[in-house]
Parts: sequence; structure tokens; C-alpha cells
Amino acid sequence: MSSGPKKRNFQIEAFKHKVVVDPKYAEKTWKVLEDAIKEIYNHNASGLSFEELYRNAYNMVLHKFGEKLYSGLVSTMTLHLQSMSKSIEAAQGASFLDELNAKWNDHNKALQMIRDILMYMDRTFIPSTHKTPVHELGLNLWRDYVIHSSKIQSRLLNTILELIQRERTGEVINRGLMRNIIKMLMDLGPSVYQEDFEKPFLNVSADFYRAESQEYIECCDCADYLKKAERRLNEEIDRVSHYLDTKTEPKITNVVEKEMIANHMLRLVHMENSGLVKMLLDDKSEDLARMYNLFRRVSDGLSTIRDVMTSHIRDTGKQLVTDPEKSKNPVEFVETLLEKRDKYDKIIISAFSNDKTFQNALSSSFEYFINLNPRSPEYMSLFVDDKLRKGLKGVKDEDVELILDKVMILFRYLQEKDVFEKYYKQHLAKRLLSGKTVSDDAERSLIVKLKTECGYQFTSKLEGMFTDMKTSQDTMQGFYAACGAELGNGPTLVVQVLTTGSWPTQSTNTCNLPAELSTLCEKFRSYYLGTHTGRRLTWQTNMGTADLRATFGTVQKYELNVSTYQMCVLMLFNNTEHLSYKEIEQATEIPSSDLKRCLQSLACVKGKNVLRKEPMSKDIGEDDAFSVNDNFTSKLRKVKIGTVVAQKESEPEKQETRQRVEEDRKPQIEAAIVRIMKSRRVLDHNNIIAEVTKQLQSRFLANPGEIKKRIESLIERDFLERDNADRRLYRYLA
Amino acid sequence: MGVQKDRVKFNVGGRHFETTATTLAIAGRNSLFGAMFDENWDLDPTAAADEHFIDRNPDCFAVLLDLLRTGELYIPPNIPERLLHREALFYGLSDHLRAAKWGPFDGNTVRLSRSIPGRAPGDGTAIRAGPDGGCCVAHGSMVHVYDWAMEEHPPMNLDYQRVNDAVWADSNSIVLSACERLGRDDGGMGLFNASTGELKYKFHVTHDDQVKSFTGGALSLNSDYRLFGSCRGRSNEYGVGVWDQLSGKQVDFFYEPPGWSLGEADKLQWLHGANCLMVATLFPRKDNCYISLLDFRDKERMVWAWSDAGAPVGDERRVRDAIAMEECGSICVVNEYEDLGFMDLRRSGGAMRWRSRSPLMKGKMPDEPCYPKLALHQGQLFSSMNDTISVFCGPDWVLTSRLRNSYGGSICDFSIGGDRLFALHSEENVFDVWETRPPPIM
Repeated sequence: MSSGPKKRNFQIEAFKHKVVVDPKYAEKTWKVLEDAIKEIYNHNASGLSFEELYRNAYNMVLHKFGEKLYSGLVSTMTLHLQSMSKSIEAAQGASFLDELNAKWNDHNKALQMIRDILMYMDRTFIPSTHKTPVHELGLNLWRDYVIHSSKIQSRLLNTILELIQRERTGEVINRGLMRNIIKMLMDLGPSVYQEDFEKPFLNVSADFYRAESQEYIECCDCADYLKKAERRLNEEIDRVSHYLDTKTEPKITNVVEKEMIANHMLRLVHMENSGLVKMLLDDKSEDLARMYNLFRRVSDGLSTIRDVMTSHIRDTGKQLVTDPEKSKNPVEFVETLLEKRDKYDKIIISAFSNDKTFQNALSSSFEYFINLNPRSPEYMSLFVDDKLRKGLKGVKDEDVELILDKVMILFRYLQEKDVFEKYYKQHLAKRLLSGKTVSDDAERSLIVKLKTECGYQFTSKLEGMFTDMKTSQDTMQGFYAACGAELGNGPTLVVQVLTTGSWPTQSTNTCNLPAELSTLCEKFRSYYLGTHTGRRLTWQTNMGTADLRATFGTVQKYELNVSTYQMCVLMLFNNTEHLSYKEIEQATEIPSSDLKRCLQSLACVKGKNVLRKEPMSKDIGEDDAFSVNDNFTSKLRKVKIGTVVAQKESEPEKQETRQRVEEDRKPQIEAAIVRIMKSRRVLDHNNIIAEVTKQLQSRFLANPGEIKKRIESLIERDFLERDNADRRLYRYLA
Repeated sequence: MGVQKDRVKFNVGGRHFETTATTLAIAGRNSLFGAMFDENWDLDPTAAADEHFIDRNPDCFAVLLDLLRTGELYIPPNIPERLLHREALFYGLSDHLRAAKWGPFDGNTVRLSRSIPGRAPGDGTAIRAGPDGGCCVAHGSMVHVYDWAMEEHPPMNLDYQRVNDAVWADSNSIVLSACERLGRDDGGMGLFNASTGELKYKFHVTHDDQVKSFTGGALSLNSDYRLFGSCRGRSNEYGVGVWDQLSGKQVDFFYEPPGWSLGEADKLQWLHGANCLMVATLFPRKDNCYISLLDFRDKERMVWAWSDAGAPVGDERRVRDAIAMEECGSICVVNEYEDLGFMDLRRSGGAMRWRSRSPLMKGKMPDEPCYPKLALHQGQLFSSMNDTISVFCGPDWVLTSRLRNSYGGSICDFSIGGDRLFALHSEENVFDVWETRPPPIM
């Protein structure tokens, strides 16, 4: 376009904001505020008018001089802080921290007042321009010009660390001042606290405790060392609570734990003559508790204690159960075990805060060594027998429960619970039939315990025995009510009717009873069969007892308590003076081994020798002759003549019991296999073994070889078959 | 005696006031009065017999002093509200003023407080309530920001590209998402200063170590300062991006599975309890609706998904908006006739249970309908339809209130926050502010 001559030429005058004020306005106003800030730092604020300063700052922001106000604040505050820094640097020796603290307090107060007069800027200008708020700005400048000044930074750190070192060596320091200084570092932000104090502090502490623990471990025994470590730990926790950030506590305790405990853990535990084993032996529960509490703080600490304790219990336990001396007395054997368990139970409760994992370790250790001795089940039954026969006489009910509970704890450790059951049944039968049990309640209570532990099946026969005893009593009452009149003054008969199968009876031949008795027995038999149909009675003459009245010479009258066999023998002497062994055997038909024992107890026991034997010797020979000992005397009118019987089982008897147990296990294993296969239909060999073992665990530890035999037997009987394709698989045949 | 010493005298702009230190203490330490009577300044009211001079407007001082005395705000007709706000800002009493203006939000007691006319051409896109009672309104390529006093701040834009969504990152920052412009790095997503309108930084998307331009869609935030945005890149890079809100760095990306839609989502919602993001793409943006939950710890699959693709549905059963309700473990949806539908969130592939109110609405459709929108606030469910917002309460979502203001036509979007409800109308570009009045005196 060519420009025409009529070029319009007009101007538009730029629109002007209304002129504010005096161009020097900002300068003047800022000068007022700057002077005020100076007065504030000089502790001379009383002459200032707050309202005027606030209004001035407000006006500067309002008239768009916020930027000037802010930058002015930064530079004037920097100036003041630099001069403060100088005076702190100049402080000599110990007054350094005091001076720093005093100046910090001054700055904080000034900062608050500056923020008050600049409140409007802080609220409006700063957020919209994303600048640092006044208070934070003041802290940042303090950090940069004071704390991080080259002449202060390292001096401050060294002073603090030196004071802490002095406190560790026992000196008293000004904790209040320390708290203020540390609080200042925290106020300046977590990174300042961490970088300028915490990290170096932790490093120095690690060096200190490394050296100290090295020194202690060379000269202290374990208990002393632990005491010192505990004290140090508490000191550090105390220090944190007094003048450090609470977040430092886990860090510094971690340092002490690592240097003083984790690094020396094994050496402490295995310390000769003062380590863990020694503490356990001496029941040092206080030291043990200290060890537990300290070791708990480090990883693997507790497992270290646990492992040493476990192996110690196992070793000592193994010695105990394999010691032939201890095995001689079953009661003492079990008592020692109970004591040992009590001891460790107490230690775990009092020192190891009843820690579950320690309880488990204790249980597994006992389980390990108790089962090392195959006679443990027998001994435990004997122990119970002993307690229930006489041991509990005069003992309170609660204590009875206590003893039984303890026995149950040991019982739980047994793997061969069925062996225990076998013995228990024998011992219980003897107690019941001989009327030796002290407390019916205690007997029943133990059975209830066994029932809860092993289930109904385990105790059904034992309970059957109790039922028999009760029924027999009723039967006898019925018998005497019905036939009492016709019996007259003859001997009194007490019959206990035992259910076959519930009792550990052996089928023995009935011996010949004396005539008086056999008629009585016949009467009872007809009475009993008359009231119960379809039953059969067999006399177990080997199990009964009898009370006899006997006159020796002319005057000595005694009441003799004897076994049925002994009664049969003694009754023979009512008619003759002398009898030979052969004659007695013929007349009574008592099995020879029983007869020999019975005669031995009648003739050979000192003080109870109601018979005289020719020749005089300890053992009974086939050619011996017997006569009544007219010279028999006793202090007591009632004389109890026991049968010579080994309390503990003899070797062949043991074999026999063992065999019976093994026989009894077979149907149980088979039943378990069938139960499992019925639900699973198909299962491989290893799984069957595992499941059967698990099912039977509460009764006994099944032998895999035996399980295999049972499987084969079941295959023969067409309960199971092998899979055609995979020979390791078994199938259930419905 | 103590009462006597408590007294404080002021001379404000020539008028005398007397009050007590106790009344002034209500202003708090973070105010002119709090600072003035701090012991640092040695202006102990008991010592100073003289009155304190303040060079300000006495009428406003009277109103604010009354506010401190009674906790209630009464503005005489001769004082403009704007003037009062300015004075409150001077004294540091803005928070007191705001707290006295409106009470805790309740959909059943809200009143229309005012309507603010807009000036943008065309339809509004979105309105978003801020945490402090302000709001931002997106119209086309511009976003206008209003603070709690409804003072307008400088508007913001992303290279003048069409804005798709906006979200308040905090009381002073807003994130916008906008369309990209072909061939340039324009549009996308950016974080703005709400009071100055300045762009602070943009959020970029990187695929295979290459920064790519994209169109930003729906946005959502979680409490861990994570920003989620649906993205449409030009090389089929569709999906949901995740950024760190404080640094602006991209931290994750969930690519859209084939046969599904994530990159064009209408709505993103973070579920705090489930640690999942709900993504909803709805009719008519796509022919079908897709609603899914994403767990960013497992990007191989979607945690929960529902779609009406393949289902023979008429138009009246098309989902127009969806909202996840974590407390009930369900997703609520709404169709064009404001029927509500519910789906169980706890199992995938469940059916929609519709609750029909259509007979009421059918045949009463206005000329220019707006699609319904949903919002949830403290156990109350809100749904907008035409020029009305319905409020539903209780476990069975009973309709309890209807909010209506006939001016401005249909409501195209609404938002609840800062104890206020903002509703944007489509015709006149007007938006309404609804708030609950302070509780009655007696």
C-alpha cells in the first residue's frame, strides 16, 4: 500500500494509573521498617508503634512494593545474623554454647516480632508469589549464616559430642543447655539435626561402645557384662528423653545393641563358668532375665539362647534317663524328671517372660530324652501307682490335682502312650482289687485327664473297671440280702465280678478252694446266674485276698491278711501239722511258680514267717517240708503278709508286655489305614505312612515297617489293592 | 477488678470503641490484635491508659468487632461486602469472616446464596469447587477462578486449547487438562497458581523414553499427592497416566487393554480404601459404556470391569454418569431419565439393578437436555437433571430434596466442596452458589 498524502496521524495517550504518591514513598517507608527491625534486634522495641509499622508494611504490599519489602527483609536480617555470628565466634571456651543459646533466643524473639509487623505480607503476598514465609525464612537464614558458618559448624558439633562423652564418663553436664541447643537444631529441620548432629553422634557412639565392650568382655564375667550393657542402654534411653529427638532413640539403642550385644553374643553365651549353662544350673533367674531382655533386642539373640538351653536340657536329660542308678527306682526317676521340668518351667516364667518359643523348646527337649528310655511309660505308671497307693495320703485335694497335672505334662511327652495305658491298666487293676487306692476322686480325676488328652477310646476300659467295682458292691449287698440268713456264721465272701476284656486278667486255672469256701462260692454262683442270664463266671483265685484268724501255740491270736493262694495253703494246716511241698501242690493245684512265691512269703520273710520250712533257706525247693510256726509273734494284732512280687517287671514279663502292646497296635494301625483309605479312595505309599503316623500320634509312634506289613495284610484280605499302572498307589476296595 | 483491667480502648479512624482483651483474644495470635497485644510489643492493655489508634474504616471495624464478640456476622446494607473483605484481610480476620458466612454443608438445608453470571461464549465444560469455598469454571479454552468471596482472579488457559477437565490440587493450585494441537507440544496437562493464573509446570507423558504430546481427559487426585489423568496419544498411546503432583514427574502409565476404553474416560475417581482408580467411559463419547477399577500394582489386568457392550439395551438404559460409593461397596450410575442403577463392586461381572423413576420424567424433556451428573458428599447422593439437582439420603437412597433455580437453563455440571455446592448452567453461563446458613440463634 502506498501511503497517501492524507496520512492520519493521531496519537492515543497511554492510559495512566493514578499516580500514587511521592516517588520516594517506598524508600521512606522501608527505611522506617528497617530501623524498626534494627531496634528490635537491639532489644529496644518499646519506643516503636506497632500500629504504625503494621500499617506501613500493609501499605507497601498494597502499593505493589511487596518485592522490595521482602528483599529488604532478607538483606537486613542477613546483616544482623552475620553480626550475631561474629559475637558467637568470639565466645571463649565454655561460654560458646551459652552465647549461641542466648543469640538463638534473641533471634527467635525478634523473628516473632518482625513477623507480627509483616503479617499482611506473610498472609497475602508470600503465598501468591510462592516465597518462603517469614518465620521459615528467619530459620533458614540462621542456619546458613550461623550454624553453617565455617567457624561455628564444626566447633558446635565437637562441643556437643565432647559434652556427651564427658557425661558418659560420669561427669554432670548442663542438660538444660544441651536440650535448648539440640532443640534449635531440630527446629531448623530434620535434615539439619540429622546431618549436623545425629549422624556424627551415632558414629562416635559406635566407636565408644566398640572399645568399651572389648574392654569389658576381656575382664568381666557374663552376668557383670550384661549388667553393664543394660546400664549403658538405659543411660542412652535416658539421654534421649532428656535432650535428644525421640526419633533418635531406636537409632542409638541400635548402636549399643549392635556393639555391646550382637557382636559378642556367642562369646557371652558360651562363657566358661559364667555363661548361659552356668546360669541355668544355678537358677540365676535375674541374670537370665537380663540376658533375655537384652538379647531380645538383636536378631538371632533369642534363638541363640534357645539353642543353648535346648542342647543343655537334652544332654542333661539324656544322662538322667540313661543312668542305670536312676532306673532302679522308678518313683525317684519320675520325680527327678518332674523336678527338672519344674525348674525350667520356673526359669521360663520368671526369666524368659513365659515366651512361647521357649516353652516349645522345653517340650521338644523333654519329648526327645524321655523317649530315649523305652521304660519311661512303665516308670510313669509306677509313679502314679505309688502316689495313688500311699503317696497322697493326707495330702490336700488341690495338691493332688497339682501332682496329677504335672504327671500329665510328662505323659504328653511320651510317644508310646499305649504302653503307658497297658501298664496303667495292670497297676490300676491291682489297686482296685486289693482295695489299695487311697482316693477314689484322685483316681477318677486322673482318668478324666487322660480322657481329655487321648480321647474316650483310651480310657473306656479303665472306666469299665471302675463300673465293675461299683456293680460288684451292689451285687454283694443283693447277695447277702437274699441269702444272708441261710449262710449263718460261716466265712464272709466278697466277690468282685470283672468284665472280661476290661481287666488285664490271665486265664489261669482255678485252684482248689477249701471246702467251706467252695460251697459259699457255689451259692454265690447260683445267686448271680439266677439274677443275670447268659453269663459265665470264672474264678480268678490268683487275684483275691483273705483275712484269717489264726492261733499260734496256745495264746497268740492274730488276724492274718493274705492272698487267696496263701489262704488255701494255710487252711490246709487246720488239719495237719506238717505238709511237704508236693502235698501242698497236690491239694491246692496252685501253679508252681505262684505256689513257690506264696510259700516264700509265708515262710521266708523275717517277722512274718507264720510257717516253718525244712530246711531253712531262702528259696523254696520241691522237697521242702512246712509246719506251723508256733513261736510266731508280732507286735501288731493284724499281720499283713504280702506276696513276694517284683514291683518292677522282670525281663521276661517286660518282653511279654511289649509283645502284647505290639499285638494291640496291629488292629489300630489297620483301622487307621482303612479310615484314611475310605475317605481318600486312592493314595500313595508315603502319604499313607504320613497320615497313619499323624492319626496315631496321640497314642504311639507307629513304625513305618509295621504300617507296611499291615497294608500288605489288608491287601491280602481284599480291603485294598495296588494300582495296576502305578505300583506305589493303593486303592480302597469298597 | 479483673473486669476493669480487661478493658481496651480504640480510636479507629476517629471513632471511639471500647472492648475487652478477652474479646480480642478470640481473633487468635495470627491476627493484628493477637500480635498487637503480645508481650513482645509491650502494649499490655492494663498498662496503657491511652486508647490505641488504628487508621482504618470505623464502620467495618464495628462489624468485625461485633463478629468477634458474638461469632455472628451482620452486614449493614450500607457496607459493600467487598469492603468488608478488604478490612478483614487487613486485620487478619478473613478466616473468621468466612466461617461466619456459611455453616457445614447439608444437601437438605442448603439455600441459594447467589448466582454469578459468566461471560464466556458457548457452553460451560465443568465447574469444580475448591477446598476453601472458591471454585473454577471451565468454558471452552478458558478457566475462570473465583475465591471464597467470589472475587474473580486472573483466568488461566493451556495454550488456548479446549479444556476437558480441571481439579483443585490444593487451595492454591489447579490442574487443567486440555486437547493437544497437532504437531506441537501444546495442550496436555498443567498445574496453575490459582490466585495469579500462572502456569507452574506441565505434566509430560513418556512412551519408550520419548516425550509424546497427548490430549488430557478426566483427572483425579489421591491423598498421596498422585495425579491421575486419562490420556490420548497420537500413536494409539491410550491409557491412564500417573504423576507425582509435587514434582510433576510421571511415575506410572496404565495402557488401555484391547477392546476397552481408558484413554477417553469421562470420569476418574480414586478409591482410597480399595487403593484403586475407577475409570468410566460413557455414552455418548463411545458407543458403549466401560467402567473398570485399576490397581496400579498389577498392570496386567483390571481388578473389576463392567461394560454394556454386546448387551441389547435401549437408549433409556444407557449409563450417562457413574460414581463409586466405597462405604456401600457399589457403583451408582444414572441414565438419561435420571434412573439410578447400582452394581456390586465386590464381585466382577454382576448385573445392574435399575431403580426406575422414568414415568415421572418421560415426556417432560426440555429442548436442550443436559446429561445427568452424580456426586456424593458425606452419605448424601446428588444427581443433576435439567435445571434441578436431587438429593438422596439413607441406605435406600430416598429422594429428600430438590434444588432448583429457574434462571440459566439446564445444569451441565455441578460440584460440592468447601461446604458449598456450585451448579453451572448451560444456557446463560451462569453459576449458582448453594450454601447452608449458620445454625439459628435460638
